[in-house]
Amino acid sequence: MFLLLGHGDDLCCAGVHALLDQRGLDARVVAAPVAPPAKLIWRLDAAGLTSSLFPPVPDTAITGVLVRDTGWLDPAGWEKEDHDYMQAELRAVTLAWLAGLSCPVINRPDAAQWYRAGAPLVAWRPLLRRVGLPLGEVIITSDPAEAAAFRRRLAKDGVAGAVYAPLTNTSGYLLDDDDAWDGIVAVQERTPVCLAEPHGASMLACVVDDTVIWDREQPAEVRRLDGALRRFATVAGLSFVEIAVAPVRRGLAVVLVEPRPRLEHFDEDARARILGGLVAALTKKTRDVAVAPLVLS
Amino acid sequence: MILVCGGLADGVTELVCSRLQDCGYPYRLLNFARFPDGHRLTGRWTDNGPQGWIATDDWRLDLDAISGVYARLLGLEDRQPLPGLDPADATALRAEGDLGLIAVLEGLACPVVNRIGAGLSNNSKPYQALVISRAGLTVPATLVTSDPDAARAFFAEHGDVIYKSASGVRSIVRRVGAEQLARLDHLRDGPAQFQAFVPGRNVRVHTVGARVFATAIESEAVDYRYAHLDGLTARLTPVELPDPINQACLRLARACDLLFAGIDLKQTPSGEFVCFEVNPCPGFLYYERHTGQPISTALAELLRGAVN
Repeated sequence: MFLLLGHGDDLCCAGVHALLDQRGLDARVVAAPVAPPAKLIWRLDAAGLTSSLFPPVPDTAITGVLVRDTGWLDPAGWEKEDHDYMQAELRAVTLAWLAGLSCPVINRPDAAQWYRAGAPLVAWRPLLRRVGLPLGEVIITSDPAEAAAFRRRLAKDGVAGAVYAPLTNTSGYLLDDDDAWDGIVAVQERTPVCLAEPHGASMLACVVDDTVIWDREQPAEVRRLDGALRRFATVAGLSFVEIAVAPVRRGLAVVLVEPRPRLEHFDEDARARILGGLVAALTKKTRDVAVAPLVLS
Repeated sequence: MILVCGGLADGVTELVCSRLQDCGYPYRLLNFARFPDGHRLTGRWTDNGPQGWIATDDWRLDLDAISGVYARLLGLEDRQPLPGLDPADATALRAEGDLGLIAVLEGLACPVVNRIGAGLSNNSKPYQALVISRAGLTVPATLVTSDPDAARAFFAEHGDVIYKSASGVRSIVRRVGAEQLARLDHLRDGPAQFQAFVPGRNVRVHTVGARVFATAIESEAVDYRYAHLDGLTARLTPVELPDPINQACLRLARACDLLFAGIDLKQTPSGEFVCFEVNPCPGFLYYERHTGQPISTALAELLRGAVN
């Protein structure tokens, strides 16, 4: 049995489910795996870890898991404080359960990934830099003079404006006139702001297991990043990640890292290859196990 | 120069600052209770980590000059209101400022005690138990279940069982008694965590870089830190642990990416050590004050860059 942790209206869950179904493989889409009606028995002691989510089926019968969500508890019928508590409990238990599974898990989270989903691009910079991926200039500053200097540096390179990129959400605002910059100065009186250099049209890639899948055909200059993208996925512990690169004033730069890739961002051909890659990765162990007796015989 | 990020009213932060002062290691205190109010910050990333500075009206510190960071971030209840803002705007601006500060600190190459991601295993106790177990320390028999029958069987097997939250929320340890046993059917609404009660002597371990400080605690109190509230006492003494336990504690801290960790052990009557959890932001003041163990001095040396 394959478990797809997410929602049925997620193209990724739906697509993987359909492919597994075509192969006659049992798959379930589950939004919150440890919430009722699941009956979890997770036990860790001197003998090791044993776990069962759907007794009497042991977790060893789960052949692969695709993680698309950290688990969501419907708040209907809950007092807010109690809902917050139960949500935290379910997420804590789900993380432990995933960590203990022996089957392929895409992406098997560690605590940092689990609890920092949606981390801004700046949080990925050390890893991106370590594997040699190009990065644009970013500044976090509460000093209007530093912001103005950034504006001048960009202008000197022919770029008219910067992007105000709040760290608390994924939005971005182009600062392309004096009024917009005055607004930033007003915010800076209260708190630092994150400013990034604007970029051109994004080129999207998905790393699935050890394969880089680009959205549409990309030029050689872009494909040269394939090795670094694979290295990034490895060091980040992500077997499924979406990365966008785009031209900035001095070449290409990574402008997005999304550990929960959105299939909607990709064309039909790329979607098919991504889904095929996910199913191949999920069934890898099953395939190996199936091959083994044939070799022995 | 060392950067301390914490609250002036926090005893642990105060101790760190005092120790740095005693050691003659220069430091700057970023008063996190007020931040971002009264502070200015710039971090600029080009090809490398952030360059820039942090300043108040009284000092300015270049990021390049920081040898180590001690961060003891405060909860909302310990933050001062941002003046002249409605609560929603204040919350949004404060969150933006906090994330900006964290991004700058996390980007520094120097020791940061501790980086945010390092402490997040504390939000899932069973996950942390797995990490502890994989580091080579014994954990108490642990059951996380939504199956009342499994809970009853665990209770029958161990007799003396405690329960506690799986997350960091409402994290209070309680013994399972008749009242809880009568309510086990509620487990069907969501799982809970049970652990076999482990008798023995509490031992608190602080790892600071590659150094280990172990403190044994003798007390009749359920929670020895609050023994005085019940008219009870707690006697704390420095102890040497067997080397395999020391090494396992260091492995655990490294596995969690924690330069400074507080690890809760119990030594059973048969001499075995059992590990309960690892704290990424240990309040070591209590232990140092009672034993004189030089934990803060080791921390000061780590922050100064004198040791790895």
